[in-house]
Amino acid sequence: MTVNDLWIALPLMILAIGALLTLLIGALARDDKAANLIAVAATLGAACWLMQTPPATVAPTLGLSAAGLPRLFGTFFTLLAAGVLCLSSGYNRERDINGEEYPATVLFTTFGMLALASATNLLTLFLGLEAMSFGFYILVAIDLKRAASGETGLKYLLPGALSTAFLAFGIALLYCISGTLDIRESTQLTLLSGRPDPIAMAGWACLLAGLSFKLSLVPAHLWTPDVYQGAPAPVVAFLSGGSKGAAILLLLLLLPQAADTTLLRVPLWGLALLSMLVGNLAALLQNRVRRMLAYSSIAQMGYVVIALICGKEGGYQAAAYYAMAYGTISLAAFGAIAVLERNGCGETVDDYRGLGSRQPFAAGVLALALFALAGIPPTAGFTGKFLIFTAAIRSGEIVLAIIGILLAAVSIYYYLRVIAALYFKHADIHKNEFPADRPNSLEYTILTAASLLVLLLGLWPGALINLLSQIFLQL
Amino acid sequence: METYLFYILAVVTVIGTLLAITEKHPVHAIVYLVTSFFSLAVIFFLLAAPLIAMFEVIIYAGAVMVLFMFVIMMLDLGRPDEATLPTLRQWLLPTFLGVIILVSIGSVAVSHYGAPSAVHEVSVKEFALILFQKYAVAIEIISMQLLFAVVGALYLGRRRTP
Repeated sequence: MTVNDLWIALPLMILAIGALLTLLIGALARDDKAANLIAVAATLGAACWLMQTPPATVAPTLGLSAAGLPRLFGTFFTLLAAGVLCLSSGYNRERDINGEEYPATVLFTTFGMLALASATNLLTLFLGLEAMSFGFYILVAIDLKRAASGETGLKYLLPGALSTAFLAFGIALLYCISGTLDIRESTQLTLLSGRPDPIAMAGWACLLAGLSFKLSLVPAHLWTPDVYQGAPAPVVAFLSGGSKGAAILLLLLLLPQAADTTLLRVPLWGLALLSMLVGNLAALLQNRVRRMLAYSSIAQMGYVVIALICGKEGGYQAAAYYAMAYGTISLAAFGAIAVLERNGCGETVDDYRGLGSRQPFAAGVLALALFALAGIPPTAGFTGKFLIFTAAIRSGEIVLAIIGILLAAVSIYYYLRVIAALYFKHADIHKNEFPADRPNSLEYTILTAASLLVLLLGLWPGALINLLSQIFLQL
Repeated sequence: METYLFYILAVVTVIGTLLAITEKHPVHAIVYLVTSFFSLAVIFFLLAAPLIAMFEVIIYAGAVMVLFMFVIMMLDLGRPDEATLPTLRQWLLPTFLGVIILVSIGSVAVSHYGAPSAVHEVSVKEFALILFQKYAVAIEIISMQLLFAVVGALYLGRRRTP
């Protein structure tokens, strides 16, 4: 182990040691304040370390990568975790979720995401994804006081275990053909143009089947609405932004290494089409805000898959951009929902009536996030969709682009329905009796930062796009 | 001969696993799973990985399955008070699968006795060097996973107050 190894592995070590420290402190301290503080400090520390320029792009003996894409996504994941931890403190106090396990598990989940991001071989990639999923299995069921949380946890765990089996089998088949676990070599040897090997095809099929669960693409999407509805709101923000971002990153680490990805075009085409159709049309029928957002996330992941199909024409940049934009938007949306629910807001759209005047800050953030999800300028959602559809048209996927644009137009209806309920309808009179709590300072900070980021990414997307195109040029 | 043995054992593994899934009685299911682990172990031995074969028997068939058995006993799913001796029909298939595995182990032992093996067998040292040097990060990630599996199980296993 050399100094360079240590340098590159340090963010992972900070998160791992932070998680252990949180567990230890929690056993000693009386309240959760110290544990939460250590957890936030660990995520911020790892983020700061990741922003520095590394001495080498690959750790010589450990096989960890510190290239541009892993560092960018690593920073994104750690900052997202910090935001989620800050948002959770008020929500968890209200819901009576206490104990050091919550911050420790959030740190462990982030550790998994970072391990996935910095993987150079398929084994670390798989284990990182698994560590992340492990964390989420615990987090979605963390609210012991609610009867629904056990059900939610089980609904996430069982299909999750199945998808893991698919992923592991897919990786084993790819190893069987290429004889190496190295990401670059095994991708290049299994994704050949011309007549592909049937075992390699089966391997990629298993890999895509496993990943479509993590991304909640349509044949494997059934867990999404239940988990989005039953899990605590900050956890949903983390799940929606982090775990989907990590799954997109996994594909972004694999696919650009191959010279030719036409082999995967047909399955990805089908997944994108089905996800967009089912996600958008099912969201139209939903009366509960969280379920509506769940179906909308299925549709959004469909757009990302379009970008992955036309990767060579700027699609990979678009997918990376959209993953980060979507993560920020989810943090804003579910952070706002956490604040609203903390003050006794119900689940259905009708319960959100008149909140625009009663809780102007949280309702404003939610409205901005919904505008961004609908793809209305000048938000990050608009720029992301613009990049995706440009890449699609440039690489000749006209049919998919037209269907996507039409469905994105349809989607505006269900987003605007919530916004209309927030601002243009009056609440039932008896609901106004108790005064609403003001959001605490941490919630103010995080929600303001997330909203500003959503606007900044929409108004000045150039910086991030340039960074991403530089990163993908180096690959 | 090894090719034939491989296919026979592969069939036994698949049958054992399928029966483990479909069997209604949990203890019977575990016995079938152990059967499939044993035949898998012999397959690993045929693939020149004796160490993995040993792990398969000691860790999976031995430790993990015994743990499953303990859980079933503690949950009282097996209904020990109503247990009867299995009927002859229930004995038939496991005995058949067991005999096949025993015969194959015997034939492998006889054919490998004294003869230098044709393929290079992976030794414990080589295995350990690769595992703890090249894949050291993987080991660390797995150890964190196991720790948090315990943390999660302890937390979620707390008594829920309605």
